[in-house]
Amino acid sequence: MKRRKLDMASVPGKAAVGVDERFQVSTPLRKLLNKVFPDHWSFLLGEIALFSFVVLLLTGVFLTFFYEPAMTEVVYNGSYAPLRGTPMSAAYASSLDISFDVRGGLIMRQMHHWSALLFMAAIVVHMLRVFFTGAFRKPRETNWIIGSLLFWVGFLAGFTGYSLPDDGLSGTGLRIASAIMLSIPVIGSWVTSSVFGGEFPGEIIISRFFIAHVLLVPGLLVALISAHLGLVFKQKHTQWPGPGRTNDNVVGERMFPRYALKQGGFFMVVFGVIALMGGLFQINPIWYFGPYEAWVVSAASQPDWYVMFLDGSTRLMPAWEINIPIGDGYVIPPLFWPTVVLPGILVGLSTLYPFVEARRLKDTRSHNLLQRPRDVPERTAIGAMAVSFYLVLTLSGANDVIADKFQISLNAMTWAGRIGLLLVPPIAYYLTYRICLGLQQHDREVLAHGVETGIIRRLPDGRFEEIHQPLTAVGEDGHGELGYVGWVVPKKMNRLGALGPAIRGFFYPIEKPAEAPVSPGHPPVEPRQEREEIGSGEPRR
Amino acid sequence: MSTKTEHQAQPGPEPLDVHDPRLSRFDIVREGARRDDIEIVHYEEQVAPGSKAERRLTRTVALFFLLTGLAATAFLVIYIWWPWKYDAGSGGDNLYTPLLGVTLGVALLAVGFGILTWGKKLLPKEVSIQDRHENDPTSAESRKITGETMLFLADEMGVKRRPLLGISLLAGLAPVGAVAAAPLVGGLISDPHKNNQMFTTGFAPAEGGQKIRLVREDGRPIRPADISVGGQLTVFPGIEHGVSNKHADSPTLLIHLRESDAVTSREANQRVGHANYMWGNYVAFSKICTHAGCPASLYEQQTNRLLCPCHQSQFLITDNAKPIFGPASRRLPQLPIEVDAEGFFVASSDYTETVGPDFWERP
Amino acid sequence: MTSDNDRRRGLLARLRGQRSAARSRGRRRLGAAVRLIAALTLAGGAYTVFAPGVQAQENPPLTGAAAEGKALFDVSCVSCHGRNAQGVEGRGPSLVGVGAASVEFQVSTGRMPMARQEVQAQRKPPVFTDEQTRQLAQFVQELGGGPQIPHGNLAEGANLATGGELFRVNCSQCHAFGGGGGALSSGKFAPSLNPASDRQIYAAMLSGPQNMPVFGDNQITPEQKADIIAYIQDTLKTNQDQGGFNLGRYGPSTEGLAIFLVGIVALVFACLWIAGKS
Repeated sequence: MKRRKLDMASVPGKAAVGVDERFQVSTPLRKLLNKVFPDHWSFLLGEIALFSFVVLLLTGVFLTFFYEPAMTEVVYNGSYAPLRGTPMSAAYASSLDISFDVRGGLIMRQMHHWSALLFMAAIVVHMLRVFFTGAFRKPRETNWIIGSLLFWVGFLAGFTGYSLPDDGLSGTGLRIASAIMLSIPVIGSWVTSSVFGGEFPGEIIISRFFIAHVLLVPGLLVALISAHLGLVFKQKHTQWPGPGRTNDNVVGERMFPRYALKQGGFFMVVFGVIALMGGLFQINPIWYFGPYEAWVVSAASQPDWYVMFLDGSTRLMPAWEINIPIGDGYVIPPLFWPTVVLPGILVGLSTLYPFVEARRLKDTRSHNLLQRPRDVPERTAIGAMAVSFYLVLTLSGANDVIADKFQISLNAMTWAGRIGLLLVPPIAYYLTYRICLGLQQHDREVLAHGVETGIIRRLPDGRFEEIHQPLTAVGEDGHGELGYVGWVVPKKMNRLGALGPAIRGFFYPIEKPAEAPVSPGHPPVEPRQEREEIGSGEPRR
Repeated sequence: MSTKTEHQAQPGPEPLDVHDPRLSRFDIVREGARRDDIEIVHYEEQVAPGSKAERRLTRTVALFFLLTGLAATAFLVIYIWWPWKYDAGSGGDNLYTPLLGVTLGVALLAVGFGILTWGKKLLPKEVSIQDRHENDPTSAESRKITGETMLFLADEMGVKRRPLLGISLLAGLAPVGAVAAAPLVGGLISDPHKNNQMFTTGFAPAEGGQKIRLVREDGRPIRPADISVGGQLTVFPGIEHGVSNKHADSPTLLIHLRESDAVTSREANQRVGHANYMWGNYVAFSKICTHAGCPASLYEQQTNRLLCPCHQSQFLITDNAKPIFGPASRRLPQLPIEVDAEGFFVASSDYTETVGPDFWERP
Repeated sequence: MTSDNDRRRGLLARLRGQRSAARSRGRRRLGAAVRLIAALTLAGGAYTVFAPGVQAQENPPLTGAAAEGKALFDVSCVSCHGRNAQGVEGRGPSLVGVGAASVEFQVSTGRMPMARQEVQAQRKPPVFTDEQTRQLAQFVQELGGGPQIPHGNLAEGANLATGGELFRVNCSQCHAFGGGGGALSSGKFAPSLNPASDRQIYAAMLSGPQNMPVFGDNQITPEQKADIIAYIQDTLKTNQDQGGFNLGRYGPSTEGLAIFLVGIVALVFACLWIAGKS
């Protein structure tokens, strides 16, 4: 018994030795286990996208078991009474069956759609983080490009998926997509005809979109995501400046166990939020939209949010048609500019931005430390300009809903969008720039004069003055010598440890606190008159 | 609290002998990290082993996991036994999906928060520092060697000395690339001008000049009396599959104008040479927007505007459906209509302008 | 009016084939009854108006209810619609010939009397009681005839699938798939169908209030109107949405808002907690 027990305990060790003798993995494995990741909440935003992609794959596989990518006409005879007996495409009928005749199918469909929206939203939020902190700078330009490609490929995945149910709303979207292809000069009609296999809608587009949506585009996404993560791993994560942090090191936690455990937990949280949304919030109720019929449309026809900016740009575009009087005459329709040219420019601008900035600043060094947005007012202002541009377009994409629900004239909304698109970005640029400068100045002020204590004292001549807590020993002129290191400057007294340690416990303290907390508002009264300013005089970094 | 703090002060510590029996497991871990250029500078238990705080946290984590089990079981019970078939919500079937969502969501969130609490509160805190090795002098050396190796490779191949090889290889491979692309492109390509499909609709007169009837969505032909003044009706060509997506460019809006509007409309028609396009006070315009192809069908019977819900183009029906607002640049094509001997509406001819969204070669 | 034979053709006939025979028979009988009533009231209404109207235009003898209605009219409506409802230039249109349906729609939804001149009259709590509304309607009906709403259950024996099909072809472009309404040009709008009663929906289709096109009985038969009403009331207005809270049924715009306000906000808080120091 005893001997056997001993054997059992040594089995894993022996097996490990055996494996290493054959594959020599112990050193690379240790290097993998021993990898340091910096910890900051904003570094987790990209993970939301990654995890929602995993949920997309899981729920998507479920959906493929029941979805039928065909446009053959069938007569619906499922559970949903208000559509029974209606002729429709097999694709729409099977989507209805997923919603009503597959046990738990509706929550899967809704989770799939919500995670698609979350995937795109998280990509955008993550991109904003990367942009505003300067994480795209050398050596990470490639990963920035891959990231922006991921947005557009995700866009494609979303649009192809949105079209698959072949309901009234998605069919309208498909119709607009065909018109967009048609608007391309010279080759437009050939492109449309080739994609749709003839005149719109044809009979093949759903099966083509299906294979694109379940194989080609996800394949591309998986490849790009792998490259994206691989590069993060290879180049190591950026970090905020701070104590002990330099451009040549990473300060944080080793990947295992704590970091990995947190990631696992976060995946579950993302999954859980998607499940809650999938269950509690209805999304894309295709049974109200009916089958796609070329003559049926609804008020407030909108695409999903990440396409809405294109819909907005299309709505705002004035009716400028370019006629070319050669032969029978040729046309460049107004639809071409906001839907083909604009996205083209956006792709170009976003991918090239790291190089443009590096060239402008003549900056060839590698940067592993992030910048606070306020410290780079120009970039932050450009970012704010881009965000406001995008926002005006997105809001214009929903301008009929806004007009209806807030009782504004639809035509006024369109004009507001047209003017806003030109006016708001420059205003956003100017305001952001000034705000950044103001924040910078305040940081410098605190470093020089100290933190506001909230204690007001009256001077002998009757003036009132607030006492400042210097962050370091002050010189003759009452100014500190502390330099700015690109990290948060403490601006509240409790940041300096003036507040006692927090008491642990939710309802009652579980441990006796070491000493009674001292409130900074009521410093211990001491009788000595010649008391100096409160302050430790210790440099804090 | 056991705190292990050590600063990077000692430069280049001697490698430890990991077989030394006096070393603790943590010492070996730290030595391993050090060999990977990681310095664990701060390692601190967050809760003392056996302390009240630890027991409390353990209980919290366990509670989370038990909640997961509970919610997951509830999910299964609901999944199997809750009435889920669509019943217009009367049997509680409309609660099926929300209940599944709540139970699944709670199960996942609880396991997530359990793991997170475990990792965040129970595991020791640490600060480690890893070197990046970007400006390593060895990498510059390595770069030089690799570069030379590659250049030597080129020398060995001798393409520079024997340019013919390179040129002929390129010339030979280029068509192979085209061969790979050809079947795909060739298979997909489809002539948009086949059967003149972009310029004709279902209203084109049948062989022998038979005029096509206007029909409703259920296939019935239409008499003038079927539409009241100020009314509109979506009509289709009365041909096989006329009311289907096979003729997605054919849906047409038939409008019965008020007398005064009809007069304006008729005058406008005459201005553009469409004198006989109306029949009585009835006009017919393509329902397919000339902008992006949505059905422009929000007809305002008093202002005679037609609004497209996709991009808000507005057309003035009484002025040949001229675009008056929004991104559309071309008026809606008008279908010439008349009434046949049996008293039903027919199309006098096909549309005389191209229907649907604009494209390059539209004349 | 189209015969049953005509109706058998095409799509609608195919749809009908799906229904159980008994229900179909019952419905046809009922439909016939509704049509008969409609025809009788129409004919009767037209007769009562036209017959005396030709003889004595100045002073048509009004029935009791209509006389009550005229009294109400002279107090509340005359300032815009003028004496004898002939309209006032620039203020209110003539009501001769608009029919009881129109009056019932405008008055029972509170749109008339208008609070002020605006782009489009808004729904508000009605000023008149049902009885007064009926009297006003009777007065306008006797003035110049026009469409009237039949009595009885307007959604009797309806087919939801047909109603849905008709709703999507004729109504959803302005009132939206969910019946929540939508914007029209220059501040006009299609109102939400949510507060509308059966009779109001029927009256709106029949009379084409404001910018709504007219869907007369010749275009959409009373039977089909019943189908549409049933679809709106039973499918769109019941709060039994499958798949959770419907976010107001505004389509993808509120869904996009929700993913940011709920999804992203919740997860950013999770991020803050996970990466937090304590």
